[in-house]
Amino acid sequence: MSEEKPYRRLESQDLLQQIAFRHGLEAMAASEEGRLAWVTSGFPVEIPVAMDVFPTYPEQAGAIVGASKIGPEVCGFAEDLGYSQELCSYARASIGSTDRPDDTAMGARPTPQALLACNNICGTVLKWYDAISEMTNAPVFLLDTPPLEREQLPHHRAYVRRGVDRLVEFLADTFNTKLENEKATKVADLSSQAIRLWTKVLKACANKPSPLNCADRFLTMAPVVSSRGMEHCVEFYEALLAEVEERVKGGVGAIRDEQTRLLWDNIPPWFTLRFFNQLAARGVGFPADTYTHAWSGAVEGSDIASILDGVVDVYSNVYLNKGLEAKVDKMCELIKDYDLDGFVMFSVRSCKRYSLGQLVSKEMVTERTGVPGVVIEGDMVDSRLFNEAQVQTRVDALLEMFV
Amino acid sequence: MSEGTLGIGIDVGSTTTKGVLIDTSGKILASHLQNTGASALKAVEQLLEQLSTESGVDPSDCPIIGTGYGRSIVELAYKTVTEITCHSIGVHSINSEIRLLIDVGGQDSKVIRIGRNGRPETFSLQDKCSAGTGRFLEVMARVLEVSMDELGPLAMESKSPCSISNTCTVFAESEVVGRIGSGDRPADIAAGVHLSMAAKIASLSRQVGVAAPVGITGGVALNPAFRHYLSKQLGQELWVPENPQLTGALGAALIALRGQNE
Ligand code: SF4
Repeated sequence: MSEEKPYRRLESQDLLQQIAFRHGLEAMAASEEGRLAWVTSGFPVEIPVAMDVFPTYPEQAGAIVGASKIGPEVCGFAEDLGYSQELCSYARASIGSTDRPDDTAMGARPTPQALLACNNICGTVLKWYDAISEMTNAPVFLLDTPPLEREQLPHHRAYVRRGVDRLVEFLADTFNTKLENEKATKVADLSSQAIRLWTKVLKACANKPSPLNCADRFLTMAPVVSSRGMEHCVEFYEALLAEVEERVKGGVGAIRDEQTRLLWDNIPPWFTLRFFNQLAARGVGFPADTYTHAWSGAVEGSDIASILDGVVDVYSNVYLNKGLEAKVDKMCELIKDYDLDGFVMFSVRSCKRYSLGQLVSKEMVTERTGVPGVVIEGDMVDSRLFNEAQVQTRVDALLEMFV
Repeated sequence: MSEGTLGIGIDVGSTTTKGVLIDTSGKILASHLQNTGASALKAVEQLLEQLSTESGVDPSDCPIIGTGYGRSIVELAYKTVTEITCHSIGVHSINSEIRLLIDVGGQDSKVIRIGRNGRPETFSLQDKCSAGTGRFLEVMARVLEVSMDELGPLAMESKSPCSISNTCTVFAESEVVGRIGSGDRPADIAAGVHLSMAAKIASLSRQVGVAAPVGITGGVALNPAFRHYLSKQLGQELWVPENPQLTGALGAALIALRGQNE
């Protein structure tokens, strides 16, 4: 008997590793050249990229800390400095690794010359970047995008646009650079191409069996988060899409025997992606999740003015910047479009912004779609907050409902 | 091999381990409850022995389903099923009308909405802390210097329960000590303790959605004061089975018998 794994490895993962490695080297070089910026995951990265400022993502570093299973230790460095355990574990991992880079292996980021935060994901980012600023002397720029309950109104748009204009000025002053038309349109174009390819990859997962499982998407989302607007990002998604389409054509699934299709809500527990693989062994796959679908807005535009308007539109409307209703709509839409049997909501202790209201939305989603769901609790980096047996009971009970 | 004619369910809870052996008609031939103690493995062994002595049946001849938080250690079990599904099926077999089941055990509590087919539709679990579990009452009984069996009846004597505002066991304990210090009657304090716990469970129930008729199981279902206050909080009569601690094991035995979860 062969010892076949219940899930299939993606060929594109090799390319992904190369890209990640290269990205790391480039970030180090940029830091030495004095043009490295730390950016939050919802930041309009196209603008610094178009102005030759290299971006790096402490949230991704947090994910690496989590995946390397050193979350409690590195978060502990921040707690030693007096930060509360209630603070987002990405922030703790980032502050902890900045304080003790030599003890953090891959998780520490090279020294920044600027800290670019956008509060479209949460308000924590501002305080977090302020703390890093105290430690590194890099200035903080905050792009303020007030939450949207419904449609974006003209005064909201105008306000965010003023912030984006100030960002361009800030980068020009700090890095002695300029936003030029040709580079801006090129970067916007590359960014939209990457987003479009990524969206196609996600949509392909509606096929049965799904060509990608949750863990695959959590890993392959890295470039679309960190390298939008760069050529290698487009190249990667072309390769990934080709592999995914190949799988679809051949009826090849991410897991070998897909029987139950679930939706995943929230950031994953990076320290135990095994969780998904164990479920794969029981025929349970996750063709869709709300997290990787959050990077879906393409910045279009033919000149600087229209690109900056595009930035305002896309970055004000990110998933976390909207009300509960929009989140419920999104979940229901995914359940319908991907023909899912149920859903798992991960209540992340760190991320209040993502997790607040889950108990209510769980009821609403079940009411509207008729499929059952379950809320499990834990954290994305801090494994001390994840009790495997308790999570198991809840997920098992959900699966027993499908019998 | 008498598979298909008999079934055993073993529910390994954090405080007690329960076992039920049923025949093909679902009739209970033997049942047993004992403390889980420090070794769940040993508790299961002893339990099986007891079931065997009581019924004269060799357990290794019967299909066994393990459930409860220690379900994975039931070595003879051919399968494990969560306590959520087992409690639903167990209760449904006794009273198929029940739509909401509240199970309050020694270390955790759960609220399950049961569908017409006897399977859980949705549920909520409280297993993170001892507030809202039997443990909360145990701690308070100790402070009030009464046994667990006496605590409920003591509370029923009260005409004006104290208000205990903390739901956290540790804080509530010091609040109770404070009440004793200020000379409140033990019966009123005991009533306040039950009221506070009932409020916690009522809010867990509302998370799931209260649907009548409501049943209650678990060790705490035996406590009259808890039932009284919970029933008031929910505005619902509460149905209690004859052996409220055995319904999980009964459900497991039924699944073993019917191969329900295949
Ligand atoms: S609180 Fe949530 S949204 Fe904010 S940085 Fe942490 S994980 Fe991201």
